[in-house]
Amino acid sequence: MLARRVLNRPRSLASPSSWAASARTVTACDVIVVGGGHAGTEAAAAATRVGAETLLVTQKIQTIGALSCNPSLGGVGKGQLVREVDALDGLMGRAGDWAGVHFSILNRSKGPAVWGPRAQLDRPRYRQFIQAELLSMPRLTVVEGSVEELLVSEPDPEKPGKHRVTGVRMADTGRIILARSVVLTTGTFLSGSLFMGQTTSPGGRMGDPPSGSGLSRSLKEVLGLRLGRLRTGTPPRIFKRSVDLSLAQLQLPDQRPTPFSFISNGTHCKPEEQLPCYLINTTPGVERVVRESLHLNSHIQQDTRGPRYCPSIESRVLRFPGRQHQVWLEPEGLTSDLLYPQGLSMTMPPDLQVRLLREIPALRKAEIQAPGYGVQYDFVCPTQLFPSLEVRSAQGLFLAGQINGTTGYEEAAAQGVWAGVSAGRRALSLPPLSLSRTQSYIGVLIDDLVGRGITEPYRMFTSRAEFRTSLRPDNADLRLTLKGYCDIGCVSPRRYEEAVRMKAGLSEALSALQDITLSPTRWREKLPQAAVSANKSGIMSAEEVLQYKDVSFEMLASAFPDVLGPYVEFAERLKIEAMYRPHCEKQRREIERILQEESLSLPQDVDYLSLPVSLSQEVRELLDRVRPATLGAASRLPGMTPAAILHLLNYITRTPQRDRSAERSSTPDPQNLSDESRDSFPCVPVSQ
Amino acid sequence: MFFFYIYNRSRASHRLWSSAPLCATDTIFALSSGQGKCGVAVVRVSGPASALALRGLTGPDRPPAPRTAALRSIFHPQSKEILDRGLVFWFPGPHSFTGEDSAEFHVHGGPAVVSGVLDALGSLPGLRPAEAGEFTRRAFHAGKLGLTEVEGLGDLIHAETEAQRRQALRQMAGDLAQLYRDWSQRLTQCLAHVEAFIDFGEDDLIEDGVLDQVDNSVAQLQTEITCHLHDGRKGERLRSGVQVVIAGETNAGKSSLLNLLCRRPAAIVSPIAGTTRDVVETCLDIGGFPVLLSDTAGLRETADAVEQEGVRRAREKVEQADLTLVVVDATQLPTDPLQESLRHCILVLNKSDLLPVEQVEKTQTFLNKNPGLPPASLLSCHTSHGLENFMTSLQSRLSSLCGDPLAGTPSLTQARHRAHLHECFQALGQYQQYRDVDLALAAEGVRLALTGLGRITGKVGAEEILDIIFRDFCIGK
Repeated sequence: MLARRVLNRPRSLASPSSWAASARTVTACDVIVVGGGHAGTEAAAAATRVGAETLLVTQKIQTIGALSCNPSLGGVGKGQLVREVDALDGLMGRAGDWAGVHFSILNRSKGPAVWGPRAQLDRPRYRQFIQAELLSMPRLTVVEGSVEELLVSEPDPEKPGKHRVTGVRMADTGRIILARSVVLTTGTFLSGSLFMGQTTSPGGRMGDPPSGSGLSRSLKEVLGLRLGRLRTGTPPRIFKRSVDLSLAQLQLPDQRPTPFSFISNGTHCKPEEQLPCYLINTTPGVERVVRESLHLNSHIQQDTRGPRYCPSIESRVLRFPGRQHQVWLEPEGLTSDLLYPQGLSMTMPPDLQVRLLREIPALRKAEIQAPGYGVQYDFVCPTQLFPSLEVRSAQGLFLAGQINGTTGYEEAAAQGVWAGVSAGRRALSLPPLSLSRTQSYIGVLIDDLVGRGITEPYRMFTSRAEFRTSLRPDNADLRLTLKGYCDIGCVSPRRYEEAVRMKAGLSEALSALQDITLSPTRWREKLPQAAVSANKSGIMSAEEVLQYKDVSFEMLASAFPDVLGPYVEFAERLKIEAMYRPHCEKQRREIERILQEESLSLPQDVDYLSLPVSLSQEVRELLDRVRPATLGAASRLPGMTPAAILHLLNYITRTPQRDRSAERSSTPDPQNLSDESRDSFPCVPVSQ
Repeated sequence: MFFFYIYNRSRASHRLWSSAPLCATDTIFALSSGQGKCGVAVVRVSGPASALALRGLTGPDRPPAPRTAALRSIFHPQSKEILDRGLVFWFPGPHSFTGEDSAEFHVHGGPAVVSGVLDALGSLPGLRPAEAGEFTRRAFHAGKLGLTEVEGLGDLIHAETEAQRRQALRQMAGDLAQLYRDWSQRLTQCLAHVEAFIDFGEDDLIEDGVLDQVDNSVAQLQTEITCHLHDGRKGERLRSGVQVVIAGETNAGKSSLLNLLCRRPAAIVSPIAGTTRDVVETCLDIGGFPVLLSDTAGLRETADAVEQEGVRRAREKVEQADLTLVVVDATQLPTDPLQESLRHCILVLNKSDLLPVEQVEKTQTFLNKNPGLPPASLLSCHTSHGLENFMTSLQSRLSSLCGDPLAGTPSLTQARHRAHLHECFQALGQYQQYRDVDLALAAEGVRLALTGLGRITGKVGAEEILDIIFRDFCIGK
């Protein structure tokens, strides 16, 4: 009890000293989150929203919420993730609305399902917003320091896993902190090394001290997890005053900024105060400098996997020689005198970086504030996780962000929310949950990670979501906020009430639209702009007319002011709903089928190699290796046969749990596979 | 309690298999017995449109009383051409095999009538050819199968999928396969380019005109698929019958067995190893079952280019076969009989006349004591000794293979291909409809088209699309 109170007190920036005073003592909390990046901050906030007493450990409080690479948020696919994180009451969307200085919806002409809300950010504002939120959050304590090792003990025999993580030991003080759940969000700091030219130094980000190697050892040697290695990079930062912007193409933001958050009334930045971006192109000289400096560039010579879609300028010109490549000059903030050259991440020696930049006309006199560099880091192969992001073999240990092999702020935040929810629920003895890929991009992200694993840094694309016409940025609140409040417990009442109001408004308006029915002739009289075809037969509802390309809800509302007038505030969403509803209906059956399969959990303790059902040896080995969590996951495995699925279905539906347990204990298990897990149902899918 | 709950949920569903098309409300049809040379063929229909199918093929008047045979003329719903005169049955749900509304057409056996009826059914809205084991699965989900039947169901589905796979392999070896594969590749490319334009078009140098290329490709594909669907009826002739292949090492007596079975020298036999270099095929009627018997080159390592090709074809044939007769020289019993899978085979120990009597007995005892081996017969092609025994064994295998309603039914496979191609064609229409309105919905059309085609040629996953995107475009953000 005393420990709990001590932990609760230091909530402000001024308090870390009180921690030093109580060094070497043992304290306890519900959830420890290690790392203060996008994954860590969302995880800590989500765990507290669920109701857990949470401790966030970070190397420096002042870098909490730092944008360590690009000064932007969202985009195509990523914007969907931001909307979903917001719908689950996360921080990222609101922080973006506060810090944004250039808002635009990408893909505006390509259909609302693939719109990509995006913003350039003011770095200090973003950081300040996140820090202010976290430091005033009830049940959350923030502490500076670095974690030396994980405390590991015997597993709880009632639950799956070989080990149990019970807390952490801090590096500098040796202090022990106990917790029921630990979330690791170490980003690129896990055995990270920095590359520039031919020099290499340990670290995860320039300017920050490297983390101790203890955590890597805990994961690899103590817990026996499989690790892999990835690389990424960041471009040099250029002084704005040294750039001839008259030689660059101006890129203006949307005149009416669209906020990320469902509950923001607008953006902090006024529309007319927004900053522009600039577009420039590479020249043959750039390619020449890259080629001439290859022997001085050890990062590019390594064969560690880097992202194909965010390649360094070196990989771009080597893979696609003889071309112009686009470079965006992005503002770093309202008061910053720096520009961020998106598309020019590089790892050659700094003098050559300057030479390269100066090959581009607009950058002929460019001066850099900091050179670009590369990072290589360890990640944990994410197939070792449950869909709750808990490590299968280590009870109470959750991973989120780059440690799982993803790249990008949005991907990190999305996992952070879910790991925080899961860790909090575990600490409070609530059953674990999973999000389906049919419901959300977060579900797609996690299902891809834990189900298929990765071979390169994973980034979200809309093409990864089979049901993207249903998973739109406009309806993330209807998909997630209601469940977030009722089932998951991570959404505040205020946001919930707003979502309920929205849902009711939309459904009333839709039935009002369906109730207005006229013959095509009458429609032509009433709404000539719609150009309803003369050959059209039968009665048409206003909802059908709204599907026409040139018809807006406002037009219908002015034709039927009494019935539709009250719903004008939902105009844009209604138009989108009407457009997509027929297609979503078609997808619904397929979605239901998948959900049904996902609702059938496969026991995690089953010994597939000796299971008394008729399965081929190949299928047995496949199941044993992958251990899918549900029948749905099993049916998506390459090599799975319909007959095998039927046998599995028959097995789980007809064999009572008791008998299966008896089978387990009576079966001698030479390889000891069954100690992988002892719980039949690792995750309950969030209800529909 | 929990298990009861999920069991009920699964009963409520008709589909739990991801490989199958969606829609629990589809109506499915298939030839359920009487393939090949039979007096009567039964075509079964199940699903909500069964009544429509019955009316469509027999006319709107005089619907048969439930569960009672009625003699009707059966005609094509569009051309009104009379296909046959036969018995029809109407089984309103839930009192039917699948629990759904069902109908049966008992028509005269023979490929022309059967494929006519299948074509006619396929032309009705809401009807499509059944996937492997689909009738049985629907019955399972409707709770119409008992515990023991369910135990056997998995094996049945396995057998059916296997039969279909072999059937598909046979067809996929020809020009048709080349055509489908080419379409699939072009569609994949189209989808990748639309996806690239959606996911990366805003920020990157996706060349202008990427979508114009897709427009052209889609229009071209539509034309090609329509043409194919229109002359597809008279297209590739597919061979019917159980495909039996004779395989084994050189000089084991494979060609002698072929000659023995067809009672005429269809193949040249000689004591020189490697006499048969190509596949020799002959149609046979064995115990009333239609059989396409193929003799193949002996499997051995060889430097002769012609013989190498023969060996390659032999292996391909074995891969596609419903049943393989593995011929082994009984005097030189190998330790490692045949590299190929022994799942669908009968072992023929030839040249028993050259064995000493005690060795014959020993071999018999060994075979009897090892039930794990495939059925084996000791035979002499030279003296015909043991032939009767072998024929009994062969006929029992043939009868179980023919009892499997999907094995070697080219007309049904063809009907299924047509249905999927039609899906593909319609989905391409969705691309054109939405091309300028909503690219996400247009892309959905290409994706559906690819799914339709993928049911014939195999699936295309998201990663494959991304690979093409990264290969074709320099994505810098």
